[in-house]
Amino acid sequence: MIKRTLAWIDRRFPLTSFVQHSLVEYPTPRNLSYWWNFGSLAGIALVIQIVTGIFLAMHYKADVGMAFDSIQHIMRDVNYGWLIRFLHSSGASAFFAIIYIHMARTLYYGSYRAPRELMWWTGQGLLLLLMATAFFGYLLPWGQMSYWGAAVITNLFRATPFIGDYVVIWLRGDFQVGDATLTRFYALHFLFPFIIVGAVVVHLIALHTVKSSNPSGITLAAKDNIPFHPYFTIKDLYGLGVYLIVFSVFVFFLPDTLIMSSNNVPANPFQTPTHIVPEWYFLPFYAILRAVPDLAGGVVAMGLSVLIFAAMPFLDRSKIPGGARYRPFYRTMFYLFIVNILVLGYVGATTVTPGTALLGQFATVFYFSVFLLLPWVSIKEEKYLRARGLPAELETLIKDEETQKAEHRQKHKRRHS
Amino acid sequence: MNKRLIIPLLLFAFSGAVNAAPPAVELNMEKIPADRASVLRGAELVVNNCVSCHALKYIRYNDMLTLGVASAMIDTWRGSNPLNTRIMAQMPPEAAAIAFGGAMPPDLSLMAIARDGGVHYLYSFLTGFYVNDKGETNNHIYPSTRMPDILGISTATDVKQRAEIITKAKEMTAFLNWAADPHAEERKQLGIYVIAYLLLLTVLLYLWKVQIWRKLG
Repeated sequence: MIKRTLAWIDRRFPLTSFVQHSLVEYPTPRNLSYWWNFGSLAGIALVIQIVTGIFLAMHYKADVGMAFDSIQHIMRDVNYGWLIRFLHSSGASAFFAIIYIHMARTLYYGSYRAPRELMWWTGQGLLLLLMATAFFGYLLPWGQMSYWGAAVITNLFRATPFIGDYVVIWLRGDFQVGDATLTRFYALHFLFPFIIVGAVVVHLIALHTVKSSNPSGITLAAKDNIPFHPYFTIKDLYGLGVYLIVFSVFVFFLPDTLIMSSNNVPANPFQTPTHIVPEWYFLPFYAILRAVPDLAGGVVAMGLSVLIFAAMPFLDRSKIPGGARYRPFYRTMFYLFIVNILVLGYVGATTVTPGTALLGQFATVFYFSVFLLLPWVSIKEEKYLRARGLPAELETLIKDEETQKAEHRQKHKRRHS
Repeated sequence: MNKRLIIPLLLFAFSGAVNAAPPAVELNMEKIPADRASVLRGAELVVNNCVSCHALKYIRYNDMLTLGVASAMIDTWRGSNPLNTRIMAQMPPEAAAIAFGGAMPPDLSLMAIARDGGVHYLYSFLTGFYVNDKGETNNHIYPSTRMPDILGISTATDVKQRAEIITKAKEMTAFLNWAADPHAEERKQLGIYVIAYLLLLTVLLYLWKVQIWRKLG
């Protein structure tokens, strides 16, 4: 019966061949480390957010008079409402953590390089969509930090030349953050995840064209690829298990560590909190915004700090495969960059004192310097490494790749002659 | 930030005065009890001492019944109100605003998680009242608060009396901590089962992974 149904479908839709081609036989490098688990984890995090979000939407009221109360209604009166809400609120942080690790892996191993530039750029688009979605969602609990966070961020658009004031009103739908803002943020917070799903499909189609990169940074010969199923289905499942344990610790035991105390106070337009801080995942960018002493300059710097990642395929001039693995200078820069991001995060979280302001400015300059120095560093590094002689392991890998390419060319020629 | 401020700020920073922020008031980090008996005593103390001015609007009388407060006591608290009435302040908000110089006593349902420091803030505030040189009552944690020293710690000198007040403050804090998240206990209990299950599942998945990958040699 099942066979016949499948046959019936397959005559009309390539179901079996799709599953076979994209999920079962899909060739995957066997040397992938556990850092390659975070792509599938991001997919799971997205599904968790969408499912819990739909259930929250069934009980939430997007109205300035009821929003805060409706969250408490979910927390107290709805069956397992507290679980759905904490899954969603902790899930947002988890999603960002996964995405940042996923990006760090791509940067470390140079996975953004040819032929995977479109993977990197669709990923960049996904990051922007995720940030927008998180920003819209953060207004919905209608706490003090929700309100003032939205007020501060929408106010940044005042920096738009000539029409800044109109843009701010247009975004808020009112002269200040109010009911119109809340309802439109709710509508967009509901819409964006589905745009993200669409963008993920594009990201995956690109992946299945160029295939996964791997720690060696070299397109592996056929013999080094193994079918996705069962090897990576089980590896991803194991990774998922580990992830869910860590996630559950936050959901069940530390859910309040991810919710700022001032967001447990209802929004009050007449009382500015003593210090307005975004969620942890925005802190480094917030620090960059504050590091520039001019509104327009700060907004541009903050925008660039997110968008500059897209330039990586152009900035990295090195042809040495394997990313940081075989490149000591690049590796040092990578680690310094990570430390610098943590410094920026710290600066973003603290109240401005002359000391932290200076530290923030220094870290901002460092942040952009890493990107801007990369073309020069990567060229110098390649020359230096080639002069010293590449590691034997790498030489064989490069040779393998060349033979493989030559074989491929020959086969191609024969077929066409 | 003002452009003209930048150069003086930089100079100031270079001069070595890095930490110019005022020192934060230190909270009393003593352990707040979580046992049911303390929470129940706290419930009685809060209703009798706080609810004249403060509401607990996310708590209904029947939530208190579920918590374990004796139903006879709840009946005296709620009077003729039905059991599912939310606990509101006895003083109308407008009257309270007039009585306290325009400041409305805040709702207490979420107070245990609504300030940095959480329960420690709350406990430190309740026990932070003192009489200053001018003979006025003030608070270390929230200077010039409009709330009176309801437990009388600022005037208590007797060691035994102070100890009693401190116990009361801890029990009130314990109750408000329950009120901020009544499902916390259930959540932690469920969490233990969920994590135990996931640990077992993950170990099995790991063994399965090892077995499958062994085929590759």
